[in-house]
Parts: sequence; structure tokens; C-alpha cells
Amino acid sequence: MAAAEQRFARLRASPQRVGWVARHTLAEALRLRLTVLFAIAGAMLVLMALRLQEFNFGHAELKFISDFGLGGIGLMGTLLAALATAQLFFSDIHGGVVGCLFTRALRRWEYVAGKLVGVMALLALFVSALVAVLAIVIALRERDLGGSLFPLARLLQAGALVWLKLTLVAVMTLTVCTYAGSMLFAALAGLLLAMVAQLRPLAEAPHGLAWLRVWPNLGLFDAEPLLNGLTVPLPFLVLYWFGYMVLFTGLAAYVCQQRDY
Amino acid sequence: MLIGDHRAVELEGFIKSYPAGWLRRPVPAVGPVSLRIARGQVLGLLGPNGSGKSTLLKALAGLILPSAGRCRILNHPAGSDAGRRAVGYLPESVRLPPYQTGREFLRYCAGLSSLSTSQAESRVEAVIAWAGLGLAIDRRLATYSKGMRQRLGLAQAVVHEPQVVLLDEPASGLDPEGRLALVQMIRDLAAQGRTVVFSSHLLAQSEQICDRVAILGTGRLLWEGLAAELPGPPPGAVPALSPLEAIYLEKIHGRR
Repeated sequence: MAAAEQRFARLRASPQRVGWVARHTLAEALRLRLTVLFAIAGAMLVLMALRLQEFNFGHAELKFISDFGLGGIGLMGTLLAALATAQLFFSDIHGGVVGCLFTRALRRWEYVAGKLVGVMALLALFVSALVAVLAIVIALRERDLGGSLFPLARLLQAGALVWLKLTLVAVMTLTVCTYAGSMLFAALAGLLLAMVAQLRPLAEAPHGLAWLRVWPNLGLFDAEPLLNGLTVPLPFLVLYWFGYMVLFTGLAAYVCQQRDY
Repeated sequence: MLIGDHRAVELEGFIKSYPAGWLRRPVPAVGPVSLRIARGQVLGLLGPNGSGKSTLLKALAGLILPSAGRCRILNHPAGSDAGRRAVGYLPESVRLPPYQTGREFLRYCAGLSSLSTSQAESRVEAVIAWAGLGLAIDRRLATYSKGMRQRLGLAQAVVHEPQVVLLDEPASGLDPEGRLALVQMIRDLAAQGRTVVFSSHLLAQSEQICDRVAILGTGRLLWEGLAAELPGPPPGAVPALSPLEAIYLEKIHGRR
């Protein structure tokens, strides 16, 4: 009985340690200059959609604003996901703090998972804030145009898709971080991997790079079909996302376990 | 002679190699080193820069894997769950998160050590008092002096009451008053029955607080023994040299 209780206590302690690392990571992430920089740049891009409405290429105005706004959130979010993940990981390594952390009950996979959860929370806040700005912009234009023309639920779903995509960029960067020797390399490699994943549909072409088919396809998370009123297979996408998240997190944890610090 | 459970720290044929050159062939940086330390002893690791002191401490802390040989802490492999729970480690020149307060950082460390909330609170308060951080503990770490950061570093290393405390250059950058305080803190740890292994360049202070001394040079263990058994300076030696200084210079440079 006591052994079972001990085992339960040990099982409960593991998520608590992940939670400690995640909270610490989020607190640090919210103080990063680049978080503020990309949040401001993202908000400006969303607001710029109002000024660029003349260049709507024949689309409905609200559709253009949402397209442009979500594109801006995706672009700034991708940069934030790669750069913030690399900076948050290497601040512990280069500062020597990792020596204080890895000599405790904390396991290395818990540290990797905690870092990832912290970055995912940061990206959730980032996307939520900017989607809220976009929703306000759309609501203001709707008021000027008269009537309710753009369903909010669709915008929220599109925001969720952008978040899923950004977290995949973050986990790919984190995997590189566990192997890389410098923050700059990890951030650039993370962005490069994200670009490959975004261009992944090219692998489907008849003479495409077949080996690329194992790589995650970020194109699946594009909000375009959703904004065009098409239905998106959300359960499939969540399953697809979850599979790659587990795969990359496991790989990152394994490399982190083997590495000297 | 140390038998069975009396061993707190054990290195057996420890070798650490790093890949070098185009072919990434492993080149031994440290070792082979064999060393045993009994429970409750204070061991000073001495040697010039690059002699392998930090590598040995990191191996004992489980931060690096040995290329050959074995490292054990209280009979558990270093880096294993049980091994990690038994050690506290102060890295050399650690850069603590500047936006946190000392108390927040200690709570974070206690949380990662899986102490319950009440245990963590009482341990944090105890180490704050022990390290003399009372007035500064709620200030941001960016405002801490080097001496205060070292005190906080020591406090985090013992917050979970480890049996073995590993300190990498704990006296580096400290003023004389800070060094005296550090000596007292290491003595406190030894008095509590903890095993302390620290690296240092300060021979005189090491001589004061160590039970055992190990001298490393170019990755090899040159001399190891009880501080009390250090031979006195030979006739005609420079009078200012202490026994430890004399043997250090002899082993490193081959002169007395």
C-alpha cells in the first residue's frame, strides 16, 4: 500500500516539475524584448490591413482584412516561435542555470516538456491577443458597412489553426536546440525547418522530393480554406499535430538526455 | 581505506574524452582518475586552469557522461534519479535570471527538487537564514553583488538537503570578507555531516577547511591524500610556503 502511494506521489511529482519549468519559461518569455517587438509588429500588420484594403485583389474587404491579418500573425508568430524558443533554451545553458536544474529530481525530458509548454503558452497568448485585435478591426469595419458579415467562430478556428502551426515550429526549433551549440544556429535552423514544412506540398508533385513526405506539412494548417467558408477536418489536424508534437518532443528529450552540459 | 556504505563519492577509472579534428577522434581530456571520498569529508580539488577540476565535478553532478569508468554518488550512478537527489551543485560563475528575486529562485529550485509546498517553504526560509540573505532575498537578482550571488548559489545547492555538495570555484571573485563567510559555510556543511567537494585556486583557504586534498594537472590526478598528512616544507624551502603550497608547486611544476 505504501509502495503504491509512493509510486502515485512520484507520478504526481513529474507534471508538477514540468509545471514549474513551464511557469518559469513563460515568465521569462513575457520579459523578452523580442516578444514585445513581434507583438507590436504583428498588431501593426493587422492594423495595416485597414490601410491596404484598396489592394484587395477583388476579394471582399472583410475577407481581405482577415487574410492579411492572419498572415501577419502567422509570419510574426513563426519568427517568435523560433527565436523565443532558441533564446529561452540557451539562456539556461549559457548562463549555467541548467547546472542548478539538472542536479535535482527534475528529469531532462521534464525540462524539455516544461520549456515546450512554456513556449506554447506564450504563443497562445500571442495569437489570442492578435486575433482579438483582428476581431476588433473586423467588427469596426462591419459596423461601417452595416450588419454582421463575418462569423467570429470562423476567425477563432483560424486562430487555433495558426497556434497549432506555430507550436509545430517551436517544437522543431526545440529539437534543434537540444543538439545545437549556439542560439543563432538553432533559431536559423528552426526557421529553415519551418520553411521546408511550409513548402512541404511540393513533395506531393510527381517529381517532388519523396523523402520530404515524412516531414510535417504546415500547409495543412493554413486558414485560407476556413476563411473561404470550407470545412476543415479539425479532429484529423489535431491528431496529425499531436503525433508530430510527441515525435519531436521525444526526439528532443532523447538528445537532451545524451548531451553533456 | 573506505569500505562499502562509507563511500559518498567514488570515481573508478574515470575518463572523459572529447572529439577533435576532422575525423572527430576522441581525445582524452581528463583521466583516468580514481578517487574515493568518505561520508562527511571535505575534499578540495586543486589544480591550474584546464586541469579537469570542473569536468570531474560535472561528472559527479551527472551533467556529463563518462567516456569510460564510473562515477558513483552514495553507491548510485551519478546522474541517475537517486544520484541527482543526493547531490547539490554550484556551477562556476552562474548567471541567475535577473528578473527574479532570490526567494523566487529558491522556490523554483525547491519545486524542481520535488519538495512539498510546506517543506519547500521551511527549507527556503532555513537556507535564507543560513546564507545570510535575509535583507536582500526579496530584491531582484540583477541588483545582487557577486558575493550575494555566490551565497544564493550555495543556498540553492543545499535547499533540498543533499548529502553531497559539489562546489565549482565557489570563492572566485569574492572579496576577503566573502571568502571568510564561504569558509564558514563549508565548515557548517561539514558539521552537518555532508560531504563537500569543491574546486579552488586558493591553497591557504583549502588547507584550512579540507580533510582531503586532490591535486590535478593536465587531466591527471597528481596527488591525493589527507590534509593532515601533508609533509612539511623541506629544509631550505621558501619559508612563506605552507605545506600545501609546497606540494602543489612540486606536483605541478616539479619544484620545491
